[in-house]
Amino acid sequence: MKKILFRRLLMLIPILFGVTFLSFAMMRIAGSDAVLQKTDTSGVALSEEVIEAQREEMGLDKPFLIQYVNWLGRFLRGDLGESYISGEDVFTEFVSKLPATLFLTLTSVLLTVIISIPLGILAAVKQNRFIDYLIRVCSFIGNSLPNFFVALVLMYFFAIRLGVFPVISEGISLRSAALPTLTLAIAMSAKYLRQVRAAVLDELSKGYVTGAKARGVKFSVTMRKSVLRAALVTILTLLALSIGNLLGGTAIVESIFMWDGVGKLAVDAINMRDYPVIQAYVVWMALIYVAVNLVTDLTYSLLDPRIRPGGEDA
Amino acid sequence: MKKRKSALLLAAVLTASLLTACSPGAQEGQEETAKSEGEAQEKTFIFGDTTFNAENGEADINPHKDSGGWPCIRYGVGETLFRFSDTMEIEPWLATDYQNPDELTWVITLRDGVTFSNGRPMDAEAVKECLDALTADHERAAGDLHIAQITADGQTLTIRTEEPVPALINYLADPYGCIIDMDAGISEEGIVVGTGPYQAVSLETDTRLELVKNENYWDGEPKIDRITVRTISDGDTLTMALQSGEIDAAYGMPYASYPLFDNDQYTFSSTATSRVFFGAMNYESEITSDPAVREAIVLGIDKESFVKTLLGGNGYPATGVYPDSFTFGGEAVREDSYDPQKAAKILEEAGWKDTDGDGVREKDGKTLTLRWLTYPSRQELPLLAEAAQATLGDIGFDVEINSTADHNSIRVDTSAWDIYVSAFVTAPTGDPEYFFNYHCLDDSAQNDGHYHNDQLEELAEELSKTFDVQKRSELAVQMQQIILDDNAYVFCSHLRMTMISRANVTGLTAHPCDYYEITADLDIN
Amino acid sequence: MSSGKVTVRGQRRKKNHTKARLILFGALVLLLILAAIFAETLCPYDPNQQDLSAALQPPGAGHLFGTDRYGRDMLSRVIVGARVSIFSALILVAVIAAAGTLIGMICGYIQGAADSIIMRIADICLAFPGLVFALAIAAVLNGGVGNAVIALAVISWPKYARIARGQTLAVKSSEYIAAARLAGSTPLKILFCHILPNIIGPVLVTAMLDIGTMMMEIAALSFLGLGAKPPTAEWGSMMSEGRSMLQTYPWTVLTPGIAIFISVVLFNLLGDTIRDYADPGNGSRQG
Repeated sequence: MKKILFRRLLMLIPILFGVTFLSFAMMRIAGSDAVLQKTDTSGVALSEEVIEAQREEMGLDKPFLIQYVNWLGRFLRGDLGESYISGEDVFTEFVSKLPATLFLTLTSVLLTVIISIPLGILAAVKQNRFIDYLIRVCSFIGNSLPNFFVALVLMYFFAIRLGVFPVISEGISLRSAALPTLTLAIAMSAKYLRQVRAAVLDELSKGYVTGAKARGVKFSVTMRKSVLRAALVTILTLLALSIGNLLGGTAIVESIFMWDGVGKLAVDAINMRDYPVIQAYVVWMALIYVAVNLVTDLTYSLLDPRIRPGGEDA
Repeated sequence: MKKRKSALLLAAVLTASLLTACSPGAQEGQEETAKSEGEAQEKTFIFGDTTFNAENGEADINPHKDSGGWPCIRYGVGETLFRFSDTMEIEPWLATDYQNPDELTWVITLRDGVTFSNGRPMDAEAVKECLDALTADHERAAGDLHIAQITADGQTLTIRTEEPVPALINYLADPYGCIIDMDAGISEEGIVVGTGPYQAVSLETDTRLELVKNENYWDGEPKIDRITVRTISDGDTLTMALQSGEIDAAYGMPYASYPLFDNDQYTFSSTATSRVFFGAMNYESEITSDPAVREAIVLGIDKESFVKTLLGGNGYPATGVYPDSFTFGGEAVREDSYDPQKAAKILEEAGWKDTDGDGVREKDGKTLTLRWLTYPSRQELPLLAEAAQATLGDIGFDVEINSTADHNSIRVDTSAWDIYVSAFVTAPTGDPEYFFNYHCLDDSAQNDGHYHNDQLEELAEELSKTFDVQKRSELAVQMQQIILDDNAYVFCSHLRMTMISRANVTGLTAHPCDYYEITADLDIN
Repeated sequence: MSSGKVTVRGQRRKKNHTKARLILFGALVLLLILAAIFAETLCPYDPNQQDLSAALQPPGAGHLFGTDRYGRDMLSRVIVGARVSIFSALILVAVIAAAGTLIGMICGYIQGAADSIIMRIADICLAFPGLVFALAIAAVLNGGVGNAVIALAVISWPKYARIARGQTLAVKSSEYIAAARLAGSTPLKILFCHILPNIIGPVLVTAMLDIGTMMMEIAALSFLGLGAKPPTAEWGSMMSEGRSMLQTYPWTVLTPGIAIFISVVLFNLLGDTIRDYADPGNGSRQG
């Protein structure tokens, strides 16, 4: 276990280099200029000299590689620079908004698990019955609606028609999180319950299930002891693989619901070409993704001893 | 199965609401209920605004940084020495009077009995400290004011300028001229202490600003105890927040949502502003350097229909730089209106002909492709672009729209666009000089299309030395007519600024300058 | 329970059933693609023709789907929008599936250092937060459907590389590959003639199911203003344009929304059916 952990941690180094370099390169190639970005809609104009001076102050006039090395050096010391737009320390800003996003991710993952595991199993057990079809139809619908659209419709019904939940978030609370969570969970559950169903069907067709049945073991026992475990492994894999997408997906939802997390921060930053913030976001999300995958790999071996973490096939 | 699914959902919802009952959010909710039931001991007001964000240079309410003065004055924290009347005439505010003994000297008398919200009296010394800090930190202010020296004596402030600045008093009424207490300084969050009816207690960039009543206010007692300003960048979210009652009033509502509030539960307050949607022609471009093409563009945009249909009537077709409400605006200048036949004829005569029958004109091997650069953060601009794309398309233009947040780095590259369409407040201080200084002259910071006219330069020189208001107006009219006759710019529409509030809100009035919103008159019943 | 006692006859019946579904969904998808190809002839109006005096008319006899805020016919725009929305998703999936499979196959076949390096690059691409990365790329490249497709391609290929590589590893060790190698086949011939046909199944199934997802991702980018440029009709940008009218003029949002929904459902159903058909054992396996 320790050896595996060490190997995985070692593998992090090239990945992190790649991630930081790519994100840095991408943002710099953009060629857009944050100094000019400031003179936007408010109708405030700056003179050329002022612009040049600010550019120099931000180090935007130096060669590319030097900018990268400088940036990486500072990054490793925990200094992510200052936002071009707000002038605030990026690290502080980022860390202050991270809990909101993690909270939203957590609630959506929980709701997804709550919805998709029981429904997936039910659909598998009742394969090709009415219930199975109904669940699958629902999953198709959930899987075929763009989440920005789901968000607007939920907002309309729950906030305006019923007045149960707020439209704009009032800080981190379950009441505020309800609608964004539901938006994210609908799309994810739709996807995952089909995977859970497939995994359970796969498991049910295996010899040991028939064997257990022949031996007179109660179906519910087989279900609890083996099949559920298989389903859990499936959903864990999926959650780990899609955590990147999920964190990205929260970005749009966060913006729509004014959920004050790093996703909204990132979307705002992208619109304003606020490089330090975008870089911090991309690198941090990549870090979280890698960490989550590491943890998942290690969890596998606890849940299913046959799977070797860090094995060849993904 | 549906039952099971809905049961699960219900369970989740129930758990959520149960858990919330223990969270602070719920207590707030209960307070609100309590408040609305009986006679409230505390009045609160929540304002939703799409523009209070770092993108607009409003990361905080520090008037000495970017456009921080706008939220500072809009939300009732700061006040300026002079202010504008509803017709944009200068009125006294924190100052009661001024004298202009010679071209370089201004003697300003400050109002007695005004204190900052922390209790410090506002005297000439405090104002001097503030203006000194302003000119040190704010490039645009320093460039406008040209202050050489300020002397303070009791309630009398004497400003000496480096060169004649006829519009000095107007500039002092710009939001950056909010008078703040420099002793209290600027907090880490960007909060300042002003003399306005409300004082800021906390601020989170792009999220919210919390205000409380200024107990020391000099001009009547503010009626609301606590105000929250929420930044809501998405127009639909803003719409629904006002519908659900989470906010009491909104600024920046999408036009498409107006019909939802067109009933007796809501109040609209609208006014014409000097914010204009206009296109600047690129004189370096092969296409727009042709006078016939420029004239055809001006004739080929249907301003009336744009305002009537796409803005739902919430604007005014523009003739020149300034709206009707200004003495030097509106009908003071002449401009041709929408005339596609004439536009087509002009193009035809200039040699732009559709020889290959694809609907797009050509001349000397060049096709009549118009690269239209604009940006989406003002909702009207993409609408204008797409409407013009169609009407100009009818007379043989191929309009390529590039609507990007990155427009500011593209507009400086004259090879990348033909017409740059933006929104601009042409007279934020009620004075005409500002627009020409920033857009139309050889040394203008934003003359991106490299427009030049000798006569205009001469008149601008004259304007910068003219103190007589009447004479300034006349010059402004002449200058406008020059740029219109050159077809160097096309002015499409002036914005009608609107705030929508719940019917129980009173005293929230839109002002032509676009930056007086929350005042001591604001009340909620 | 049920799957435990599937009889031979039951399986055959199920297979027939699947075949019928395959034909049905296949035909519907074909119809959709044909509609997209012949969009221009199907349109009752010019989709880009504005008529501001006829703006925002509700669905009715003249305009079946109503008109948008520029007075353009929604039905025509939805039909023409099919071309951009469906074709860009198809092209995107084709590109990432082809490129990913090729890379994965080569990596799986040669293994060694190059394999490690390429798969680490794949890891790096996977590690980026999907849509936000695509957003950043699209923002850098300044919008346009083409650029949205490129942005999504950059982050989506590793999935196929991983599948192809895994499959290649499994097939590679089998005896007939060894036989082909002994018979003097070049690596190129082995890759394309022997390995590819054996691994193409799972790749195709994944690709089919990806089409719907990609349509939605492109729509999401368009929704954020980084997709189609005006006046191009594209479902995502049409929804984005109309969303502020959801309550006042709902048809401007709902018609493209329903179009996206129906197409995504059809492609998903087809993908599912193909999977069932290719793998009749138990209905479905992980994609």
